[in-house]
Amino acid sequence: MTTYPVRFLLNGTPVEVDVAAQDTLLETLRNKLWATEVKNGCGKGDCGCCAVLLDGRAVNSCLTLAVQANGKEVVTVKGLGNEDDPHPLQESFIRKGAIQCGFCTAGMIVSAKSLLDENPRPSPDEIREAVSGNLCRCTGYKKIIEAISDAAPKCSPSD
Amino acid sequence: MNTRILKAEFDYFAPASIGEALALIAQNGPTARFIAGGTDLLVQMKLETVAPGCLISLMKISELSVLKREKGFLRIGAAVTWDRILAFGSEDRSYPALDDAVRCLGKVQVRRMGTIGGNLCTASPAADSAPALLVYDSRVRLVSARGRRTLLLDKYFLGVQQTARAADEIMTEIRIPAPRPDVGGAFQKLARVGADISKISCAVAVERKGRVCVSCRVAMGAVAPVPLMIRGVPEFLQEKTVTASLLVTAGRMISDEIRPITDVRSTAEYRKQVAGVLFRDVFQKAWTRAGGEP
Ligand SMILES: Cc1cc2nc3c(=O)[nH]c(=O)nc-3n(C[C@H](O)[C@H](O)[C@H](O)COP(=O)(O)OP(=O)(O)OC[C@H]3O[C@@H](n4cnc5c(N)ncnc54)[C@H](O)[C@@H]3O)c2cc1C
Ligand code: FES
Ligand code: FES
Repeated sequence: MTTYPVRFLLNGTPVEVDVAAQDTLLETLRNKLWATEVKNGCGKGDCGCCAVLLDGRAVNSCLTLAVQANGKEVVTVKGLGNEDDPHPLQESFIRKGAIQCGFCTAGMIVSAKSLLDENPRPSPDEIREAVSGNLCRCTGYKKIIEAISDAAPKCSPSD
Repeated sequence: MNTRILKAEFDYFAPASIGEALALIAQNGPTARFIAGGTDLLVQMKLETVAPGCLISLMKISELSVLKREKGFLRIGAAVTWDRILAFGSEDRSYPALDDAVRCLGKVQVRRMGTIGGNLCTASPAADSAPALLVYDSRVRLVSARGRRTLLLDKYFLGVQQTARAADEIMTEIRIPAPRPDVGGAFQKLARVGADISKISCAVAVERKGRVCVSCRVAMGAVAPVPLMIRGVPEFLQEKTVTASLLVTAGRMISDEIRPITDVRSTAEYRKQVAGVLFRDVFQKAWTRAGGEP
C-alpha cells in the first residue's frame, strides 16, 4: 500500500502524518491526530457534524481526503477557543442553551464561524442558510440561531 | 452499508497540468478516475457503486479554474467551485437562472468543495446546474490525448449518468454566451427540504418585447433520463402575446412532453402534474426579470 506524507497546520500547530489515499481527513483527524472533537456522523455530506475549516472555510471532513489537506490549514472547534478562553460563539452556545447532547455542536460552531468571517452581521435567514448543512436532533435549531445571532457582534475575524 | 470509511485502496495523484493529467490517466488503466471536489465520487465510492484503482485530482490545474468574461462568453473552468460561482453571481446579474440554481445547490460545505464540472460529469438527471446551463445555450470544452473539442450541452447528455465525454477526457470549461439585453431567466426546484436533491426542476430564459414573448428556452431536471430541453413550448410561445391562459396551455404541453419515472423522491404522476405549475411559476419570474409589466 502506498503511503503519502501529509503536512498541514492543525489549529495553528504544524503536523505531519503518513496516510493512505483512502484515508479521509475526518479519520485522520480522529484516529491519527486525536482531534476527536470532530464528530463522525453520516459519512456522506448530509449532517455536517464533521465540519472543519479548511483554509478558513467550512468543509465536510468526511468527504475530504487527507491527502487533499496537504499544505493547508485545518481548524476544528478546539482551535477557536477553550474552557479558559472561549470563543464568543462557544460562550454564546453555552449561555443560550444551544447545546443538548452536543454531537452537532462542533460542526455547528465551525459553520457559524465560517459564516461570520464572511458576513459579520448576518440576518436570521442568512444564519439558517449557513447552518442548513448541519443537522441537530435535539435543540430544534431555535436556540442555535439565537446563539449565533447573539455572538455575531462580539466576534472579530481574528478570534 | 458503512459510509464512514473508504474500504478499497487506490493511488492518488494531483498533477499541475492537463498534459500530466492526461499522461496519468493513460498510464493507470481503465479503473483510473478524475476527481474534482469529490462530493459525488467519494459518496459513490463509500456506497461501493464505483471502485477506482487510481484517483487523479484536477484541483491543482490552474487552467480549470478560470472564471471570466471573454469575447462574448462567460468562461467557467470545470474545477470552479459553487461558492465562487455564487459570489460571481451576486456581482454579475447576467445569468439569473444559473444564480437561482447555485443558491439551492447543496449546502455551504458542499458548495465549497463541489464543482460545476463535477456536476456535469456525474450527469445525474437531477443535476441542478444543467437546466440553467441548457437554457443559456452553454457549451462544454473537452480535452484528451486525441485533441480538444467543444460540444453543445444539449448534445452532451446521453442517458442516466451517460454523456458524450470519453472516460479519458477532461472537461476543461463551460462557455455561456452573453445573453441578449431583453432576456430574463429563472430556475426553481422542488425538493423535500431546502437543499435536497431535486424531485423536479425547471429553468426558463425568455426574451420579451412588451407583452410579447419573442423567444424562450425551457429545460427541466429529473423528468427524463437526461436533463431535458423542452422542444414544443418554445415554438408554441414564439411571437405570442403572453396571457395566463396561454401559459396554462403551455404547462399542459410540458406535462405531455416529459417522461418522468417513479423513484424514491416522487411518483411519475406527481411529476407530470406539478411540471406545468412549476413551469408557469418559473416563466413568470423570468418574464418579470426580463423587464416591463408583470
Ligand atoms: C450533501 C450533498 C448535497 C448535494 N446537493 C446537490 C444538489 O442540491 N444539487 C446537485 O445538483 N448536486 C448536489 N450534490 C451532488 C454534488 O455535490 C454535485 O454534483 C457537485 O457539483 C459534484 O462536483 P464535484 O467536484 O464534487 O465532483 P466529483 O465528485 O469530484 O466528480 C464527479 C464525477 O465527475 C468526474 N469529473 C469531475 N470533474 C471532471 C472534469 N473536469 N473532467 C472530467 N471528469 C470530471 C469524476 O471522475 C466523477 O466521476 C450534493 C452532494 C452532497 C454530498
Ligand atoms: S459525517 Fe460528514 S457530513 Fe455527516
Ligand atoms: S445538540 Fe444533540 S444533535 Fe444537536
